[in-house]
Amino acid sequence: MAKLMLYSALMILSAFIGENKLIGRWESKPSEKGNVTGVVFKDSTFEGYVNKKPFVSGAYKLENDIFSFVDNGCAGKRGIYKIVFFNDSDSLRFEPIDDPCSDRRNGMSRLILGRKK
Amino acid sequence: MNRYILTIFGLLLIIMVQVSFIKNETTSKEELGKLLFFDPVLSKDYTISCASCHKPGHAFADTTAVSRGVSQKKGSRNTPSAMNVTLLSSFFWDGRAADLEEQALAPIENASEMNLPLPDAIRRLKNNKRYYRLFDEAFNSEPTAKNLAQAIAAFERTLETSDSPFDNWKFSDDANAVTDDVKRGFALFNGKAKCISCHFGSDLTNNEFRNIGLFNARNLNDSGRSLISGKKEDAGKFKTPGLRNVAITAPYMHNGMFKTLREVIDFYNDPGKVVPNGINRDSLLARPLDLTAQEKKDIEAFLCSLTDKRFHKVAERK
Repeated sequence: MAKLMLYSALMILSAFIGENKLIGRWESKPSEKGNVTGVVFKDSTFEGYVNKKPFVSGAYKLENDIFSFVDNGCAGKRGIYKIVFFNDSDSLRFEPIDDPCSDRRNGMSRLILGRKK
Repeated sequence: MNRYILTIFGLLLIIMVQVSFIKNETTSKEELGKLLFFDPVLSKDYTISCASCHKPGHAFADTTAVSRGVSQKKGSRNTPSAMNVTLLSSFFWDGRAADLEEQALAPIENASEMNLPLPDAIRRLKNNKRYYRLFDEAFNSEPTAKNLAQAIAAFERTLETSDSPFDNWKFSDDANAVTDDVKRGFALFNGKAKCISCHFGSDLTNNEFRNIGLFNARNLNDSGRSLISGKKEDAGKFKTPGLRNVAITAPYMHNGMFKTLREVIDFYNDPGKVVPNGINRDSLLARPLDLTAQEKKDIEAFLCSLTDKRFHKVAERK
């Protein structure tokens, strides 16, 4: 019984320590060309949409707000960005650390997303 | 007397109904553009409209290899879909128009299409009382080449589609929106078949120009992008088309040489087998893909899943 309680407590603790603030649906503000939506899943995958049209999908790792990922658009090249959260973690932007894919870097550097509630 | 009153009342009713229709008529740029898109007034002999080649039931593409313009004159390239053009960065197979407004005017003057000089087109619109009024309502101006282009482009920008089974699977996270063969096809599209290298993006094109090996300077002698850029290395390059609604826009390629999606997939699987003497074929297509029969079916299923629901009846007939 004690073992079970200890295990449960550890599970709850790890859930808080490893909280992934990124999980959920994020959206940019509408612009003339439309808007971007990003959905980050618990299973370390994500999807991106432009005007509700699927645009990109990939797999990511998140450690200390460092977002490292591979998607289907840049020939398997890995992008590494620091995520800057603001507005009580309800908004975010990406600061490039390393991304050899210049089109992606240009796009992500301009992106500001707000949490979709 | 009663009959007289009834007749007057009937006439008044008819006039009122007509006036109410007139008042409800188009005023927005988009609606004006739609009227113009479907009106043969912009062709020399009043027989061809934009919609003659950009057929609404086929995602605003044509069903023939190349379209026929006024006097049944044959064009030289396949008519691309006019849908999902908002995010494109160039237009026409050779990318000669930088924006949708520039694109919108070109077919009007093209001798093989509508063959009407722009000054004549504008004169016609100015002399047409209805269009004169509609341009005034939409642009606060009489018809000009600039606002004619703006109106048609505005209408074309309304032709976006984002309600296909693929969209429902991905955006709405509905795993049941597509079948397993579509999911396998999407994985192949992103992997073994390498389609994603050129067809990346929300409309499944990265807007680049590529030589897929359909130029041999003999029977396939359209050199594409090089006619615009003047660069020898661009010979045989054409703009990568988007793939939304592709299942209902056959035939395919810049010259409409493939009648079915299966023919397209067979070509990409081993381009050298279909066109052995293609000049400067892209290195992405240097080796056969070695797709199995099942893999080809799966890719085709994925491509069919890109058909917007508004076209599903057309797709079922095919």
